[in-house]
Amino acid sequence: MKLSRALLALLMLALLGSCHRHGPPVSGLARVRAAGVLRWGGDIQGGEPYVYEDASHGGRLTGFEVTLAEAIARELGVRAQFVQNDWSALVPSLERGTFDVAMNGLEVTPQRVGRVRFTRPYYIFAARLMARRGDARIQGNLASLRGRRVGTLSNSFSYELLRHTGAEIRAYEGVEEPYTDLVERRTDAVLLDDIIAARYGQPKPELQVVDDLADGYYSVAVRPAETDLHDAIDHALARITASGELERILTGAELWNARQGRLRTWSDTDQRQMLGVATEGQRFGWLHVRLFAQGAFQTMWLSVLAMALAIPLGLALAVARLYGPRGVQRLAGAYVEVYRGTPVLLQLYVLYYGLAPVVSLDPRVAAVLGLGMNYAAYEAEVYRAGIQAVPKGQTEAALSLGMTVPMTLRRVVLPQAFRLALPSVTNDFIALLKDSSLVSVITVVELTKQMTITAIDVRGWAVPGALCALMYFAMSYPLSIWAKRLEARLARS
Amino acid sequence: MIEVRGLTKTYGERTILAGIDATFAMGQVVALVGPSGGGKSTFLRCLNGLESFDGGAITVVGHGLLPGGAHINRTALHAIRQRVGMVFQQWNLFAHRTALGNVVEAPVHVKRVPLGQATERARQLLARVGLSHREGAYPHEMSGGEQQRVAIARALAMEPDALLLDEPTSALDPERVGEVLDVLQALAAEGLTMLVVTHEMRFARDVSHRTLVLHGGKIIEDGPSKQVLEHPQHERTRAFLGLDRK
Repeated sequence: MKLSRALLALLMLALLGSCHRHGPPVSGLARVRAAGVLRWGGDIQGGEPYVYEDASHGGRLTGFEVTLAEAIARELGVRAQFVQNDWSALVPSLERGTFDVAMNGLEVTPQRVGRVRFTRPYYIFAARLMARRGDARIQGNLASLRGRRVGTLSNSFSYELLRHTGAEIRAYEGVEEPYTDLVERRTDAVLLDDIIAARYGQPKPELQVVDDLADGYYSVAVRPAETDLHDAIDHALARITASGELERILTGAELWNARQGRLRTWSDTDQRQMLGVATEGQRFGWLHVRLFAQGAFQTMWLSVLAMALAIPLGLALAVARLYGPRGVQRLAGAYVEVYRGTPVLLQLYVLYYGLAPVVSLDPRVAAVLGLGMNYAAYEAEVYRAGIQAVPKGQTEAALSLGMTVPMTLRRVVLPQAFRLALPSVTNDFIALLKDSSLVSVITVVELTKQMTITAIDVRGWAVPGALCALMYFAMSYPLSIWAKRLEARLARS
Repeated sequence: MIEVRGLTKTYGERTILAGIDATFAMGQVVALVGPSGGGKSTFLRCLNGLESFDGGAITVVGHGLLPGGAHINRTALHAIRQRVGMVFQQWNLFAHRTALGNVVEAPVHVKRVPLGQATERARQLLARVGLSHREGAYPHEMSGGEQQRVAIARALAMEPDALLLDEPTSALDPERVGEVLDVLQALAAEGLTMLVVTHEMRFARDVSHRTLVLHGGKIIEDGPSKQVLEHPQHERTRAFLGLDRK
């Protein structure tokens, strides 16, 4: 009964979410002018040269987009104010009104065209293909990428280019990691914006530029209903471009090149071509459900393997901490403190990227190891508490019968400690099931990552989000029930 | 078969055992009595190494124990414990095993007796303590008296030369004491060597051959039970037994 009500609530949420699309025009410009501030969203994590904190100037916000935002605001007669926002969520944040415009290397892709109103571009980039020096398999065309492992950023223009090439896409969250993995031979090529390639890929001597495969555009994204704000910014950009200010800004960031000449002669035709035919979002269908099922399988598989590692390792740690010689006790204690005291995200990073020069782990192996080693620390504490909760008389009785200490542990203490620990272990497994979504930072596509990918395809978070939640629930709820039954059965014996 | 020489033990400033000398022969049933805190239980627990001691020496069934702990006496302790069983005040049955499971555990895993054989023997022992009908019961499903009888069967399953019993009836409901004492009496009649820490004067007088009175970590009286309990020599024993009261 309770379950079906929860499902109903989820469904309602999904329906509500899909309703708010394009409302009647709203005067965004009036709001911006009244506030005297143009609030623009971006992510400092994108780094140089977009928006970054200049360490040599006391962490002052710097970057060509910062200068450009100030110029646009000046044209509108207001001040510019930066709003930090995770890059992958810039569009949803724009939709919910976190800031007035999004401007942070936001590439014009068909998916985004369906959701936001783009101004004329302020930068024309190339999707640049890089490979390891001397790797002749990678040619200057998309066709040569079939069957190859190609790194790119999730939700990017390049990601869209790669989708139907038959390449095995590795989607990253950061700009440095795709090139590190290319050097480490974890991938065969990287396709990304030339700005990113120039800063993070080309300095690596092991890598070479294969070719530039397509032109793409950075534009300012405005909410579709706020046509007047869009037009005002569009005109402001036109003036900034015509006056040569844009060229100065881009030159200052060493970004000006021959490709940017088109910005000066940008016409309505160019704009229409850039926007193309705004493709309608795909309908959420069985294909997506199948992808979700695959993601759920991946999540379950990762979690089960990680737990299968965490349980024996945690047990060994708990026993070492309670019964080991002093040195071993300290070591086990240090392990637990370090793994519990640092974020699992960081541990995954260190394991996958940090150790890459020493051991190059497969992402899924790294995911299982990382999650397993992290959860082992928690398991160790759970078992330790369980072992300590077994009455001392049990040990004394076992010893008095001639059992050795290890046998006493194995035959008497641990079986009872396990029963005491069972509720916590189940709890930890359910937590692990959800924590496993963190492994998307090391390019593993599991359920949550699948949800974000699908959300972009179908232009909405509501339905994929609800389905994703439902799938997590469908995995964890039976587990809770099973654990409850097992507890009840053990309590009887 | 058990020989104790100059046994001492202290907890910080507090002296628990202040030099105990005693010898226990095969086939003897000995009651250890005395006021609480007199060191009875500690003394008993030193004999199979559940407690370490600070001075003196203990020899049990030919194996010597030295001051220090389990890590020094490991081999000796292992041998002693297999031949000298123990029964606790709080029974300490393995909570995750049935009555039968408790009894077969040690023979199978310590002595490597085949399970079938161990089970057969365990059933005989449960029958002997009158619990054949309870072999499938878990500890929490049994009364204290039943648990203690299973605990005795568990100790006997190792076919020990002697049993150490630490206040075996103190935690029982009064109406349950009898059933445990009956079992002990039967074992005594069969000639099993037993050292029993007890507050049951009835048991000390009627069953045990010899009674030791411990007070302040010393043996203050030692002799045939009848003599010690009816004509104690030491005034403290008289006080403890309530014989001084007019």
